[in-house]
Amino acid sequence: MGELILEQIINGIIAGSVYALVAAGMTMIFGVLRAINFAHGEYYMLGTFSAWYVISKLGVSYPVSIILGIVMTMAIAAVVGRLVMQHLVTAPFQSGVLATLGLSLILQNAIVLGFGGTYKMFPGGWLSPVFIGDISIAWQRIIILIVTIAMFVALELMVARTRMGRSIRAVSQNIECCAVNGIDVERVVLATFVLGTGLAAMSGVLTGPVNVTIYGGMGEAVTMKTFAVIVMGGMGNVRGTLLAGWILGIAESFVAGFIGLQYRDAVGFVILIAMLMFRPTGLFSLQSRF
Amino acid sequence: MTNPAAIAIPSLKPATADVDIMPTWLGVVLAVALLAAPVLLDSYYLHALITSMIFLLPAHGLNLIVGYTGMMSLAQGAFFGIGSYVSALLAMHLGTPFWVNFLAAGVVTGLIALPLGVPALRLRTYSFVMCTLGLVVIGETVAKNWISVTRGDMGLSGIPRPHLGFGVEVTTITGYYYLFLFLAVVMTALFWALVSSPAGRAMIAIRDNETQAEALGIPTWSYKLIVFALSAAFAGFGGSMFAHYLTTISPLTFQMYYSTTILIIVLGGGAGTIRGVVVGSLTFVAVSEALRIAPELRMIIYGFVLLLLVFWLPKGITPLVDKVFALARGRST
Repeated sequence: MGELILEQIINGIIAGSVYALVAAGMTMIFGVLRAINFAHGEYYMLGTFSAWYVISKLGVSYPVSIILGIVMTMAIAAVVGRLVMQHLVTAPFQSGVLATLGLSLILQNAIVLGFGGTYKMFPGGWLSPVFIGDISIAWQRIIILIVTIAMFVALELMVARTRMGRSIRAVSQNIECCAVNGIDVERVVLATFVLGTGLAAMSGVLTGPVNVTIYGGMGEAVTMKTFAVIVMGGMGNVRGTLLAGWILGIAESFVAGFIGLQYRDAVGFVILIAMLMFRPTGLFSLQSRF
Repeated sequence: MTNPAAIAIPSLKPATADVDIMPTWLGVVLAVALLAAPVLLDSYYLHALITSMIFLLPAHGLNLIVGYTGMMSLAQGAFFGIGSYVSALLAMHLGTPFWVNFLAAGVVTGLIALPLGVPALRLRTYSFVMCTLGLVVIGETVAKNWISVTRGDMGLSGIPRPHLGFGVEVTTITGYYYLFLFLAVVMTALFWALVSSPAGRAMIAIRDNETQAEALGIPTWSYKLIVFALSAAFAGFGGSMFAHYLTTISPLTFQMYYSTTILIIVLGGGAGTIRGVVVGSLTFVAVSEALRIAPELRMIIYGFVLLLLVFWLPKGITPLVDKVFALARGRST
């Protein structure tokens, strides 16, 4: 029993790391745009699909596909950011909801149209198990955990130390003041958007081998779970997202293990609604961003 | 927040404008055309018209939320699904006539929405949208897993066709057409009566300035709650029609597709007007049927329509339609 619980916790933390990586991007984008990106999971999907494409059609190795998958997704995101997201800076919230819902439909169905709606096998990855005591974990999962923690440390440093990070924080606080002080708000928004989608793509490429099968609609569920994570973490709070992601991952893992697999995908929403009701500011902060 | 109610919401106008703006002769022509449609059109076009009437009622409901109180909800799909299940289960287990199922679907859905609205309406803007999206996912999970009632993924099939009492059963597509046309007209008239009543004006006041409405003594909270429940009831009515027309439903009824469709109808037509939503449901069905061979392409076009609405047509296509009407009126008088 004890081992089973430990295994659930470890699985939960690794699944949660995936959510956290996606959510970190979404929460940063929310910070600068005050817009919820309803299409965020699609960039996770694009990352996986780009990697799948370069591996199975161009024959590159998995490590190279990680880089290519992220770069290709960020290139698409740069176009989307330039054409759509930059114009949402001062738009009312309805515009953000509609535009990103529209983008989600376009990206998701363009992939289905281009590559077919069937499930595909994701080739590659390091799936050989490693034993910690009696518990076996695939190398890939350990890599996910390490990369996630490394990315969060890097994000913290970037946001705290670099000029770009300071600009992102400034834009999150007050757009008008930034414009007055010579910060190019549109450029910061674009950079944050591309960075955020890059994180989602990274998460997608890293989880491809663990998910095994991939399909065009896979981003939708990720978007929805990400909502729960960013609200738990506190909107715009990058550090909070990591813990929130782990909490969601562990909660899902326990529900799947002890109650029933079919209830797993509803966990995020129950948490989301409970958080919105009782602690809309997130678990870790007192100030609401809405 | 610079502009709390910017997109898709026209300036304050009395709801009677919906009727006034259409030239009388055009109204008569349209009424005759709608009544004569089964004679003039083949069953494929009738099917398209029936589909647009099924979506019209949930769209009216969403219009009440978006156009008359200025909130944005994705929960219509969930209430549409609940209505379809309520109506189907009643007909299958109790064999009640269609009128009873139809009314029950609306009333039960509205009653389910009431307690959900109490916490949900405390939220604003994004949180409210995310929460309403959550209701859709939870609805789907319940439909999938409450197997003893909903039969899970297998769904409910063999839903009886509408019994109207006195041994009359609707079986032909023409029968469906007239039944749904009748329901669509009656519900649209009810909707019109609602929004042109003092209550409707109070809702518009809440949309334009909630704080001021509150200060004027309008019980904004009760209004919002009632609007939420009423909009759900309208979705439930639509769900009932859906179930009895298709005679089979499944958890797929809770797909995001329906919420998105209803949103596109309301915003594409023009929120805050009745004619906008009617025109929206007809246009949407025309586009949707034209693209039925390529469902992915259809969804991509929906996506572009949403972007188009945000950036170029914030009031939907109603202003264009009004121009056509104005031209027609100019010629007729």
